[in-house]
Amino acid sequence: MTVNYGLYVPKQSGIHSLHPLTKLAYLGFCLAVSWVIPGTWTPYLVFLLGIVPLSALGQVLPNILSGAFKAVLPFAISLFVVQGFFWPEGTVLQQIGPFSLKEEGLFFAIRGAGRILMAVSTFLLLSYTTRPDELTLALGQLGVPNSIAYVILSTLQIIPRFQTKATTILDAQRSRGLETEGSLRVRARALLPLVLPLLLSSIVDIEERAIALEVRAFGRQGPKTSLLVLHDTPWQRLLRWLLLLAALGVIVWRIYAALAPRFLS
Amino acid sequence: MDRLKSDFSTVGIVLMGVGIVINIAMGRIVTTLSLPLYLDSIGTIFVGAVAGPWVGALAGIISNLIAAFFGNPANFLPYIPVAAIIGFMAGLFSRYGWFKLWWKFILAGVITGVVAALISAPITAYVNSGVVGTGMDALTAAFRGMGMSTLQANFLQGLSTDPLDKSISYLLVYSIIQALPNRYLDRFPRAEYVR
Repeated sequence: MTVNYGLYVPKQSGIHSLHPLTKLAYLGFCLAVSWVIPGTWTPYLVFLLGIVPLSALGQVLPNILSGAFKAVLPFAISLFVVQGFFWPEGTVLQQIGPFSLKEEGLFFAIRGAGRILMAVSTFLLLSYTTRPDELTLALGQLGVPNSIAYVILSTLQIIPRFQTKATTILDAQRSRGLETEGSLRVRARALLPLVLPLLLSSIVDIEERAIALEVRAFGRQGPKTSLLVLHDTPWQRLLRWLLLLAALGVIVWRIYAALAPRFLS
Repeated sequence: MDRLKSDFSTVGIVLMGVGIVINIAMGRIVTTLSLPLYLDSIGTIFVGAVAGPWVGALAGIISNLIAAFFGNPANFLPYIPVAAIIGFMAGLFSRYGWFKLWWKFILAGVITGVVAALISAPITAYVNSGVVGTGMDALTAAFRGMGMSTLQANFLQGLSTDPLDKSISYLLVYSIIQALPNRYLDRFPRAEYVR
């Protein structure tokens, strides 16, 4: 079956063949550590020690680095300006005209960008190394219904086709004289003629697609057989539980450390 | 319970998928026209209106999950609760007959926008350290410069865009419902509330 798999990068690697839930548990653990343990540079350290080696093993390191860079850059710029220069008070590091760069704000911005880096890179590492159908099958093992898996997988496949359809409508409307460039008013007036044909045609298709599914026993109750079989091992199951416990442990420890001085003193 | 089962019928499930696709395609059209709006919850609102709050909320959740694949994950994943509330509220507005008069659509959009701003402000402040990674951050910076906390600045920034964005989204949903023949509308689980 050749279908569009979203961000999936097909490679043969140990990371690719891990059970999706094992990866999910590991990434959740990394995310918890990077967010919960204090320190300006903690998220970057977790990224270097936890995400980079695994990305290299999974042969997706260039993808992770460029993907994370593209996603984090706009946030990093905004953080540097908003929190670095508009931090209410603190040690002034640099004066630029009426604005001053404050040390506290700068460190807050660095840590904030690091946390976004961790959130983005964990998501990307999972998406690059896991086929969406394997991931939804694994979620099914956690009790997520089959119909949800169907919605996720079908939309992932429809979206590229739908975007082609949007371009076709855009071209068609332009060729009969619709202005799509110019002042805000001109562009706003182009919205309805573009949106309505696209939305109406897709909504009208719904019934046909539902019937097509119904005749293939989509709504049937009871167990279903999957053509896809997930590879799982006892040690992976053990590892998942250990990672889950470790992540919970870090979070509980942090809450205790934050609350204890208030109640014990 | 029976109601929920009929909401999640095969038509309801397919509708949810189409709603999600509409959300993501709208994001693309808005970028093409470079409009200062998001309009990326039109599908969620439509699903909530014709299939009830639970299908609407789920459409919002999956929509943000999928959007993370096609856009910037940091702009979508943390805001999953906001998307869920938008779909849920659309279901409630429809349940109480607000999807029958055009001016109630605008009112519903404004209320949704205020609620969305209320919920997204703490997410922006605590998860993304106060920024959204777009030009809107200039507004946050201005509010910060006036001495506000990050949370206050984020709330006001949301309030300056969300109510307008959501009321235009609701108006677009109104025009979809008006343009759809009853023959198609009637297939949806809660069609009686909108026609």
